Amino acid sequence: MPALAERLNRVSISASVIMTIKARELAAQGIKVVSLASGEPDFPTPLHAIEAAHQAALAGDTKYPPQDGTKRLKEAVQRKFKRDNNLDYALDEIMVTNGGKQSIFNAFMATIDPGDEVLIPAPFWSSYSEMAKVAGGVPVTINCPQNNGFKLRPEDLDAAITPKTKWVMINFPNNPTGAACSRAEMQAIAAVLMKHPHVWVMTDDMYEHLVYDGFEFCTIADVEPRLKDRTLTVNGASKTYAMTGWRIGFCGGPKALIKGMMNMQGQATAGVSTISQAAVAAALDGPQEIVRERAEEYRQRRDLVVEMLNAAPGISCHKPEGAFYVFPNIAGCIGKTSKGGRKIETDTDFAMALLEEKYVATVQGTAYGMSPYLRISYATNTENLREACGRIQEFCRELS
Amino acid sequence: MKLIADRLDRISPSLTIAMTAKARALKAAGKDIIGLSSGEPDFDTPRNVKDAAIAAIERGETKYTDVAGTVELRRAICTKFKRDSGIEYTPEEILVATGGKQVIFDALVATINSGDEAIIPAPCWVSYPDIVALAEGTPVIVQCGQNSGFKMTGEQLEAAITPRTKWLILNNPCNPTGAAYNAAEIKALTDVLMRHPHVWVFTDDIYEKLAYDGFKPATVLEVEPRLKDRTVTMNGCSKAYAMTGWRIGFAGAPITLIKAMDKLQSQSTSNTSSVSQAAAVEALTGPQDSIEDMRKVYERRRNLVVDMLNAAPGLRCHKPEGAFYVFPDMRGCIGKTTAGGKKIATDEDFTIALLEETGVATVHGAAFLSPGHFRISYATSDEALREACTRIQKFCAGMK
Repeated sequence: MPALAERLNRVSISASVIMTIKARELAAQGIKVVSLASGEPDFPTPLHAIEAAHQAALAGDTKYPPQDGTKRLKEAVQRKFKRDNNLDYALDEIMVTNGGKQSIFNAFMATIDPGDEVLIPAPFWSSYSEMAKVAGGVPVTINCPQNNGFKLRPEDLDAAITPKTKWVMINFPNNPTGAACSRAEMQAIAAVLMKHPHVWVMTDDMYEHLVYDGFEFCTIADVEPRLKDRTLTVNGASKTYAMTGWRIGFCGGPKALIKGMMNMQGQATAGVSTISQAAVAAALDGPQEIVRERAEEYRQRRDLVVEMLNAAPGISCHKPEGAFYVFPNIAGCIGKTSKGGRKIETDTDFAMALLEEKYVATVQGTAYGMSPYLRISYATNTENLREACGRIQEFCRELS
Repeated sequence: MKLIADRLDRISPSLTIAMTAKARALKAAGKDIIGLSSGEPDFDTPRNVKDAAIAAIERGETKYTDVAGTVELRRAICTKFKRDSGIEYTPEEILVATGGKQVIFDALVATINSGDEAIIPAPCWVSYPDIVALAEGTPVIVQCGQNSGFKMTGEQLEAAITPRTKWLILNNPCNPTGAAYNAAEIKALTDVLMRHPHVWVFTDDIYEKLAYDGFKPATVLEVEPRLKDRTVTMNGCSKAYAMTGWRIGFAGAPITLIKAMDKLQSQSTSNTSSVSQAAAVEALTGPQDSIEDMRKVYERRRNLVVDMLNAAPGLRCHKPEGAFYVFPDMRGCIGKTTAGGKKIATDEDFTIALLEETGVATVHGAAFLSPGHFRISYATSDEALREACTRIQKFCAGMK
């Protein structure tokens, strides 16, 4: 075996994948595992999207798609950006990718030279830093502490920007914390970016429709239109329409960037499944009530989970604005020993002991750049959530 | 700070796409265009495959799968490799990707360090050298002319290997020439590889099923099983099952390499569409009759095209063993002037004049690193082919 490429040694495997696999192994032994580790909606794909996929297959819409997406889907994306975000993108400022992940990968690979810095507010989805590293970039994290609701403080952003800064990542509602920024908070971030014209902004708005209690989502290119010519707005169908398996992400950005990203994608995968594109076009253009109904369901789950976790000794759980995650602090459990005799020195110890003793799968905060925390996904049914939180309470009560 | 990264500057803009775009523009302007430039079957995806996709959607197979593909599909791929080539792979040695292109991208980007060499016989699909260059490697192009049937000999391979050689990339049958290697011809190459244990071989067998006159293209591992620990056997559904739009490619390779490819893919796109994967299971394990039906049609078209092109003054067309391309030598036309008054100095002049004066879209040989030729795809109807070849004959006869 020849040595692997240097770039690959810089990359680690996602902790949530490791936890999911471990949970699956335990389940295969017949153990009733409750998994709160996966970032995937438990709802089905909307029926009208399914119907559109059927029609596309039967109609022979099975040929190579254009590398940047079918005209039909790109027009639907264009309408979506206008309708939901008040953003005007021309068709050559839009591209369709294999999941939102590939939009980010394309953008980094197309723009990052060795040593370029990517500013990533922490906690963060670990793929941001991994993809930046694959591209030869240097991920630089900016702490967003719990006492500020896990949101990016403008002064911290300002202090982190250097002449080498190429990108700032913005992801609110956030994976893993669920934190979202109000328009005023986003304006303050935008004001900092206006002072640094060499910095590009990537906003991952994948969770935009999952916000609760009347919270209003906003995206940076709408909040500060003067940033639009250096902003990439990333979104997709996975979370909004529960279409993870279909693998459709999309983005809007300046034409020169989109062109570079297309060249990159042309070498990596070419176009995206035509059947999936047809399904997502229907999802974007179809009735949107289902999105609001599901958001209400998620809100109820969030309230349940936050309440039950705060009743567990040693855990303090912030109630976030959106997404389907909570990010409880477990500092009160550190230094203790579980009933099964495991010493809890880190959040990784906690997550492992919880999985092995109570069969609840979560992901340690370390994997998202902040500890000691846990990420809990509440994209599962109420019964599972009640059961899992009950087990977590028991686990914490039994710590000594 | 400039926007686009250096790595993108290493990729040449796709000349195939440039031709396709030009043809599309003429067509939109109302010109009568016959497109022979696309590398895509004109058949539709078989009905049983479409039905399998629809059934999978109905079963709710619309969630994330393992990055490397569903276990069902990886098992089906093992069955395919065993059935068609006698190669034993386990599901852990299989990776499913978004088209064959992503298999190449994953394998090369996961292994190539700056300055590593990849030997590529030309004429070739330019994505091979482009992806090598993207990974900071050095493509080593070995010209294989029409006199050797566009195939690489053992001597040529031996002469091209250096201590920096990491990969030999084979494409059998070949795009753009249609040339295919039988077992004896592959043996001549594998004998050389056995003497150079540091060289890995990537074999792109995507056109495997399209071979004529009883010819059997051989794949590396059925000829030399001892190379199994340094071979990637790539294949896919696009050409054999007319499934280009579904975006399913796959490979068998040693576990360590599959794991590395899996890691890279997990940070670029994750799994390929779950719906497409279900369709691919049916394609690989369901009735295979459609392949033979398509193959017979392609064989008839190849004969038609080769005969008609050889009747055109100035052209010399080799009759290849497989794929759906021919790659006629047009050097007999160089130095002449078309009826429209255009001077032909290069293959590109030829294809542009042919398009503008007769409406026949082809791709010039330089796009495949072999000037003096042009590529014709015969994946279109007999009627269109007859008309196109008639126009080419007239075009050539009209030159002075």
